[in-house]
Amino acid sequence: MNLFFYVIKRLAMMVPVIVGASFVCFLLLRLSPVDPARAYLSVSNIVPTEETIAAVRAQLGLDRSFWSQYGHWLWQLCQLDFGTSFFSKLPVARELAARLPITATLALSSLAIAFIVSIPLGIASALRRNRLIDHMSRLLAFLGASIPQFWLAYLFLYFLSVKLDWFPLQGADTWLHYVLPSCTLAFALIATYSRLLRAGLIEGLQEPFVLYARARGLGTFAVVGRHVLRHAIRPVITAAGMNLGKLFAGAVIVEQIFSMPGMGGFFLESVYHRDYPVIQSYVLIMAIAFVIGNLAADVVQAYLDPRLTQTARKGE
Amino acid sequence: MFRKVKQIHISILLVLMISIFLAGCNSKASENTPEPSTVGNPSTTVGDIKTLRLSWPKDIGPLNPHEYTPNEFFAQGMYYEPLIDYGEGGKLVPKLAESWDISEDGKQYTFHLRQNVKFSDGSDFDSSVVQKNFDTILANRDMHSWLGLISQIEKTEAVDAHTFKITLKNRYYPALQEFAVVRPLRFLGAAGFPDDGNTAKGIKSPITTGPWVLSEYKKDDIAVFTRNDNYWGTKPKINTIIIKVIPDGEARVLALEKGDIDLIWGEGVISLDSFVSLRDSGKFETSISDPVASRALIVNTAKGPFADLNVRLALQHAVNKQALVQGVTNNVEKAADTIISSNFPYANVGLKPYDYNLETAKSLLDQAGWKLPDGKTIREKDGKPLEIELVYMGPDQIEKPMAAAIQSDLKQIGVSLKTTGVERELRNKRMETADFDLLFWGTYGAPYDPHSFVSTNYEPGYGIFESQQGLSMKDELHQQMKDVLLTVNEEERQKLYTSIFTTLHEQAVYLPISYLTNIAVYPSYVKDFKFPAHRDETPFDSIDFQK
Repeated sequence: MNLFFYVIKRLAMMVPVIVGASFVCFLLLRLSPVDPARAYLSVSNIVPTEETIAAVRAQLGLDRSFWSQYGHWLWQLCQLDFGTSFFSKLPVARELAARLPITATLALSSLAIAFIVSIPLGIASALRRNRLIDHMSRLLAFLGASIPQFWLAYLFLYFLSVKLDWFPLQGADTWLHYVLPSCTLAFALIATYSRLLRAGLIEGLQEPFVLYARARGLGTFAVVGRHVLRHAIRPVITAAGMNLGKLFAGAVIVEQIFSMPGMGGFFLESVYHRDYPVIQSYVLIMAIAFVIGNLAADVVQAYLDPRLTQTARKGE
Repeated sequence: MFRKVKQIHISILLVLMISIFLAGCNSKASENTPEPSTVGNPSTTVGDIKTLRLSWPKDIGPLNPHEYTPNEFFAQGMYYEPLIDYGEGGKLVPKLAESWDISEDGKQYTFHLRQNVKFSDGSDFDSSVVQKNFDTILANRDMHSWLGLISQIEKTEAVDAHTFKITLKNRYYPALQEFAVVRPLRFLGAAGFPDDGNTAKGIKSPITTGPWVLSEYKKDDIAVFTRNDNYWGTKPKINTIIIKVIPDGEARVLALEKGDIDLIWGEGVISLDSFVSLRDSGKFETSISDPVASRALIVNTAKGPFADLNVRLALQHAVNKQALVQGVTNNVEKAADTIISSNFPYANVGLKPYDYNLETAKSLLDQAGWKLPDGKTIREKDGKPLEIELVYMGPDQIEKPMAAAIQSDLKQIGVSLKTTGVERELRNKRMETADFDLLFWGTYGAPYDPHSFVSTNYEPGYGIFESQQGLSMKDELHQQMKDVLLTVNEEERQKLYTSIFTTLHEQAVYLPISYLTNIAVYPSYVKDFKFPAHRDETPFDSIDFQK
């Protein structure tokens, strides 16, 4: 029950954060030196004169006061209407509906791969300190932290798609299309997670309760799996919560290289065109992704360590 | 032992769950893709079916013949047909109009439309549908005002089923050439129009008279065009064209190497380094087109040091263009001596190129009063250093290194060049307000030049007219530019163009850098590849496969 109230409270706290993010984004866009009406005209091949700029400003609703525009946008959002793209003239919601699942799948599959690889790797390198597996894991972490993502993407494409023909080169049609981009994104995460986990496990294995568990006759896997991992994995969960939002927002390069029609390319194009409705919606969705990522991390933390929810309730 | 087996089971279960999750998430996405026998298959000839696969950086767009972005030029060009086509050397060739007459005063154009032409939905191509297309184009005149012809049209009239008459307000010699442009003067079938007839708000479906019909489409992913077997003209030799969206140039190169695509073609679709590497690999055929447009710097004569002709002339002698095109473009672009290449109509006027000569450049700066003080590296005049700014498009892969090379060239003659990379909209704003000393710019190319070039020079709003305000003969020059578009006499027109190009050259208001070209890379089984004369047309109709 404690956990339930904790989640409700955190969900309620999301509202001001998201409204704040929407406001800051709205404000920053309007501080930009380029007038979107002018950008719209240049995209439409119309010579920007005072008259044409005024007409487009009126058409796009940019002639109204800042607060009126912001209020109108919030009101539209309440009705789940994200507005209409200045550029494609299609409803933003429709564009997002086509792209968001691709980016979401990519983000979640990258996280999943990162967990699947880094948990066994972290455990193995903690239990076999300074042995071959630990050195290998260190090397992997070093590579993961230093190899540029775009280069890794090209290496994967060249060797695994062009040379060996194991995976398709471009698109997002089947699960096979997601393997290489997900691995590209997961590579850097594996480096971080496996090292975090290793450090946490090594620290945890020194705790008195481990000695007690061993004294009870529990085997290594039981000690690590049931007791130590529960503590050691917490920093990894926190990092994953942060990364979820980043993966949603920052997969632009990977999406472009693997020709995945996700959110990245769409957002980039909208920035070029000063497509306010798209930029605003994108920032809003990214804010939600960050908040939900952190919330999910906190909920898992609270599940792993119920003391956290108690602290939260006491703090009320 | 039991624990180990249990852990293996858990791992397998996890992998399975992830696989099911990924497959489940995308089952819908794969529904619209073309059949596997054509997509992703290394063989492009299955039985008698010849499929050309290529990629493009962006989605083809909604295939609206009367609109601009997000409609892609090449897709509109391959899909819809004009009244008149632009052929080799600028020769105008009949297309949907079999012939045309021009009245003596040069204001009335009567088109005799080709008979027995059907749209892809089976409807007839006749003057009523031509009228319907012109109605929507003229209803959105503002949007098309960049095209001189549109602002000149006074009225249009369907004389009979196959005769269509257009009356202009004034004589306008490039009218015929402009009927060949890709947008907005191409024809959509009547059933493709929205209910209110205004295509600016979108079309119902892309109905064409052209050789290709859109048969499958998934936005931002793939477009499949099938040969229109009822096409009135010479039918293409290939049956299907598949266009995949690959935004990244290097990924496009890998797709060609893997055999996923059969052709890379266009301007700037891959890096020029990649082009050279593919050419040198010996595995592919490569070709470079004739110049299709020019890359130049606009020199702002209205303010700063470039208000002085000698400083502008010094710039012409100080930049090593040959080194620029070799170093930055691997000679894929050609060094330019004049703002419009001499293979364009009226542009072969025998101008003497400025040679690369640092001593001449230094002497011109001395004459202009910009002297190099002892112990300093930057010239000064009245205590003020010779500092200028070059604005370029930040993300552009060519402009940035070229800007750096020009900076280094100018340093040798004691000029401090500040290079400012800005993104597209900011660059457009700075151009339109003439807020620059030097700015990278490109001409329209064929079939728009040289007439579109002159109109962007005399019309305020683009920033070029504004940048020429420092010229003492600007009024006369701009009047000549207006007059040349009204000429009916070839000799008089050539005389005016010669005078215009000579003035622009002598006054050094542009620094021509290079001529842009189209590139093509394809495996040897792709035959009969030929670059179209028109910058925005596609080469697909002539291509054949021979394996």
